[in-house]
Amino acid sequence: MRDGKPIIHVEHVRKSWGAFTALNGVSVTFKEGEVVCIIGPSGSGKSTLLRTINQLEKHDSGRIMVDGIELDNDLKHIDAVRTEVGMVFQSFNLFSHMTVLDNITLAPRRVRKWSDEKATQVALELLERVGLSAHAHKYPSQLSGGQQQRVAIARALAMQPKIMLFDEPTSALDPEMVNEVLLVMRDLARSGMTMLIVTHEMGFAREVADRVIFFDHGCIVEESTDPQQFFSNPNHPRAQAFLKQIKHAA
Amino acid sequence: MIHKLKDRDALILVGSVLGLGLILWLMALPLAALPAPIGPAAQQFSDGALTTIELTLWASVFGLILGVLAALGKRSHLPPMRWLADLYVWVVRGTPLLLQILFFFLALPAMVPQLRLSEFWTAVIALSLNVGAYNAEVIRAGINAVPLGQVEAARSLGLSSLYTFWDIVLPQAVRISLPPLANNMVALLKDSSLAYAIGVVELSMASSRVQAESFQPVPVFITVAVIYLLLTTTFTQFAAALERKLAVGKR
Repeated sequence: MRDGKPIIHVEHVRKSWGAFTALNGVSVTFKEGEVVCIIGPSGSGKSTLLRTINQLEKHDSGRIMVDGIELDNDLKHIDAVRTEVGMVFQSFNLFSHMTVLDNITLAPRRVRKWSDEKATQVALELLERVGLSAHAHKYPSQLSGGQQQRVAIARALAMQPKIMLFDEPTSALDPEMVNEVLLVMRDLARSGMTMLIVTHEMGFAREVADRVIFFDHGCIVEESTDPQQFFSNPNHPRAQAFLKQIKHAA
Repeated sequence: MIHKLKDRDALILVGSVLGLGLILWLMALPLAALPAPIGPAAQQFSDGALTTIELTLWASVFGLILGVLAALGKRSHLPPMRWLADLYVWVVRGTPLLLQILFFFLALPAMVPQLRLSEFWTAVIALSLNVGAYNAEVIRAGINAVPLGQVEAARSLGLSSLYTFWDIVLPQAVRISLPPLANNMVALLKDSSLAYAIGVVELSMASSRVQAESFQPVPVFITVAVIYLLLTTTFTQFAAALERKLAVGKR
């Protein structure tokens, strides 16, 4: 799995808002089928990196290539990348005026031009996969946070993306709902999906990650393809301090 | 329970439309049974009410379209569009409606003779432009109230900005804007009485004429007030039922 071919190239990417630098010349490559967990203190730039990869934020300088498409000023390139890259947000962001089923089928119908029948069939299969078949005709407000996040994952998967981005998918959840979402993600990781996960769930990262990236102050300060080794004995002093603090909290 | 409530709302929706039609169609019958000065003038009241509703409905439709366009203009990335929309709302909200109606009737044909329309359509245009400016603010607020996260989610799924607006933003903005929009429509129904100034024979003009012929202001103005109340009530009932019906999935 770790020797898949490179699918995302990030080269010297910078992004800042006024005096605040979110990404300070980040370069990193992600491979097909790889599960990468991105960790680090808040404000360190890890979410911004995800958001530049599907251009919810425009990078100030540097280059980003996704599946052979360069993210430049051409809107067609951005739309093309977005159809190949699914994103799951911290706050779910389900369309609150639509049923679960409509949430999932909207983009395939509009963007992939699937028929209603095909979109519905795929949506129902995905709902089965995330364990929510019984809720297809409910509205988001009728679901728990964990259920909403599982719908959001199904919605992103319905576009049959090559890459899935997860931006702190369990941070807004009540503790008892974290597991049901991680279960779905673990299942997805086993299926060979390329996944970039910004998370604070260290146990989960340790278990599923092929590679761990540690961010601090807009830079990647440590990278490890051996999560066991990284979590028990990180090299960089700031990674050591960060993990120590998290262990104290836990 | 929920289904029963929804059915009730559907009933109110249909009922208020039918009710409005029935009021307009059959109003002359009970009025004709009343003593003078109302009875003999029943048809005048009925025709006036019909004209009032026609003015209101046309101006509502155009005002809604103008409101959406101006709201989009105010949010546009292109500065000239923003300036145009801001100018429109600023001028219309900052000047009296009566002045606007007179302007379109008197001043505009003086400048551009081709723009001489009938009194009715002049009133429709002036009322549409007026309510459109108020709708613009309401719709803009509705658009702003749709969570940005949902827009980001739609864009991240590859939906174009047009589909994102059409499928995600507009339906929720309309739902949020509905109570104040309904408010504007009811105000419009009453404001349509200003068309009287340019000689449109709507309900207020009709009552004024009947009063002038009979010299009996009390029964005439009470009658016309009751008719206005009936008309505005059907509007508010319709809007309230629509609001409840569209409230699905609301947090």
